[in-house]
Amino acid sequence: MDSTKKHLRSAVLVAGAATLALAMGGCSAGSSGASGGSDQTKNVTINVVLASDPPPKSELAEFTKETGITVKWTNLDWDSLQTKIAAAATAKTYFADATDVDWSRVGQLGKLGWFYPMQKYLKTSSLKADMPQLSSFTVDDKVVGIPYDASFMVTTVNKELFAKAGITTMPTTISDYTKDLQQVKSSGAVQYPLDIPFAAAEGLSTYWYQTTGAFGGTVLDKKGKPQFTSPDSAGYRAAQWMISALKSGLVSPGNINVTDSQGMQTLMAKGNVASVFSDYSGNVGSLYNVPDSSSVVNQVQYIPTPGADGVGPNLSNPDSIGIPVNAKYPKAAAKFISWFTSKDTQVDFAGANGPDKVLSGYALPSRLSAVDVLNSKGTLVGGDVLAKLLKTRAKPVFPEGAPSWYPQFSNSVYTNLHAAAAGNMTVDAAIKAIAQTATQLSSGS
Amino acid sequence: MDRRMHWVRWIGVAFILLWTLIPIYWTLNTSLQTNAQVTAKPAYYVPPTPTLRNFATLLTGNGDVPDSVRQSLVNIIIECAAATIVTVVISTLAAYAFARMRFRGRQLLFYAVLATMAFPAYTTLIPIYKIMTGLGLVNTYTGIVLVYVSGFLPLATWILYNYMSSLPVSIEEAGQVDGASRMQVLWHLVVPLARPGIISTAIITFLFAWGQFLFPLVLSSDISTEPLTVVIASLQGRHVVPFSLMSAAGIIAIAIPAVIAVLLNRYIVNGLLSGSVK
Repeated sequence: MDSTKKHLRSAVLVAGAATLALAMGGCSAGSSGASGGSDQTKNVTINVVLASDPPPKSELAEFTKETGITVKWTNLDWDSLQTKIAAAATAKTYFADATDVDWSRVGQLGKLGWFYPMQKYLKTSSLKADMPQLSSFTVDDKVVGIPYDASFMVTTVNKELFAKAGITTMPTTISDYTKDLQQVKSSGAVQYPLDIPFAAAEGLSTYWYQTTGAFGGTVLDKKGKPQFTSPDSAGYRAAQWMISALKSGLVSPGNINVTDSQGMQTLMAKGNVASVFSDYSGNVGSLYNVPDSSSVVNQVQYIPTPGADGVGPNLSNPDSIGIPVNAKYPKAAAKFISWFTSKDTQVDFAGANGPDKVLSGYALPSRLSAVDVLNSKGTLVGGDVLAKLLKTRAKPVFPEGAPSWYPQFSNSVYTNLHAAAAGNMTVDAAIKAIAQTATQLSSGS
Repeated sequence: MDRRMHWVRWIGVAFILLWTLIPIYWTLNTSLQTNAQVTAKPAYYVPPTPTLRNFATLLTGNGDVPDSVRQSLVNIIIECAAATIVTVVISTLAAYAFARMRFRGRQLLFYAVLATMAFPAYTTLIPIYKIMTGLGLVNTYTGIVLVYVSGFLPLATWILYNYMSSLPVSIEEAGQVDGASRMQVLWHLVVPLARPGIISTAIITFLFAWGQFLFPLVLSSDISTEPLTVVIASLQGRHVVPFSLMSAAGIIAIAIPAVIAVLLNRYIVNGLLSGSVK
């Protein structure tokens, strides 16, 4: 017995020592991949890792011909990519010269210093006027990524289903919108006219932020304090409106397990609902008007998002591209980013100059000048509405940049709203739980 | 009472089977439909017009997605097979040493090896990534195989240790009396006797390696080394998910381990139970 104990103790000691050695080895080894990459921009190959298909080979070849920089492109799904970014940054090792910077992680990335401030390589101040969503990637005056598309949340309606219910003038306030949805339901045009993705996932959080904006408020203040605890607040009313839409039959009970993209693909694109209050900008052209994936071709349109007292804002959720501090060729990566986000390239990607130059899945250019070109050429579906919204209505979800604790906050938002939708808690209890999380996180506890 | 217990047992078995098989059935059902059928409402519980188009696209089609799936299928087979062979060879030697040889610190070393199984694997991810970067082994088969071997070696050693401990020592002693060296005894006597244990260790290692996601995700940088598990995840687009194609890839991914598990089930059970009954 004593012998066993002795052996076990020794084993634990050895195991502990082995772990320590491994960790120390991990901390000291491989500093070769650390920051301080080469300034070389000629005859180099850079790795670009994004959650996107690669640009057409001809486009990349043209870039290589112009600059001498060869691009090796890797397409990775968004979740896996975030894991890789975090793992590489934590291990202080190289994995890409340019990669994704998501709007929701700007606070974290800025605080942790995982990405170079883009001011170091590009004149970002000159981009501001043409890229309204640049502010979503600015934290402590550092621009950590340059937006390459202009994803923002926008309301879509199936005008044919609305017309069947006798609605031809689109609503501009939430109360009118709600009445119209009830009218669509009672007309029998569709049983459940509204899509809200109540699955416990990020899409539910962003839907709530957008609805809160439409009700005339914001979720958090500059210091990260919750702004939705009062029953009169926009956030509280937004949550109540969403849950009551489910309870009153405007939203299908099955939506309790529907994510945002599932709802768009299987409900809106199939004519099973008449509206998505918080849809993706670009979905009309890239999803609803594509016959292979849609049965509502030419039936869906963007409308200015109905607000509490008139048209509401459209919150931005764009992706950008930045340079990790462990990049091997940061200057070459900056040249690539400059090309990738240029007006001419964006116009090509969006299909204005023929299908050979299209970047698959590209929604909407991040540059107003590129949107104007598309609009003038008539190649952007719903371009007039989108251009106007991007210029005048698109706003960051968090004007001061997403807080560094955003992932935990978002988790609390979608978990509690999902529970409220499932009937496991009241709206009031859900709001209180979310507020408690925000208060704790913002106070650093 | 016995009759009641009989029913309870079967209800339990039925519940577990449904719980396990329904997701697999749904994946198969989705893989045999077109994307339009997959998104239809109400959903089809049985494919209305079963099609192998998704499988044909992935296995014989042209384009980036089919190319990636095929390359990743090759990658996963190479990585799992290599990890299995290396693990079995090393663990056989280690298990024999621990089971039969008497040397100072034997038990201490053995417990230390076993103790590593208690560490959550993910806590070692960052140090391993850093070490592999330092050694220039990121995005190489060697790097991924080494990590698999280090991860599965303790379990494999433990299984084989139990198996070899249960073998009669007298046969090995007879061999030694006849003048055989340790390695000859191991190769000509122990390995043939321990073959069921070695096979079960190989199967278990292969199946564990096949299911890996996070380590190969981090340790591979492109399609030259990415296994199928990683590539399947990357098939989902930013806003659009190709459900039927992903399901077909999922069925391809589970086909090989499923066949192995069904055909060689008795070895897996024997391996895991070895040493538990004497």
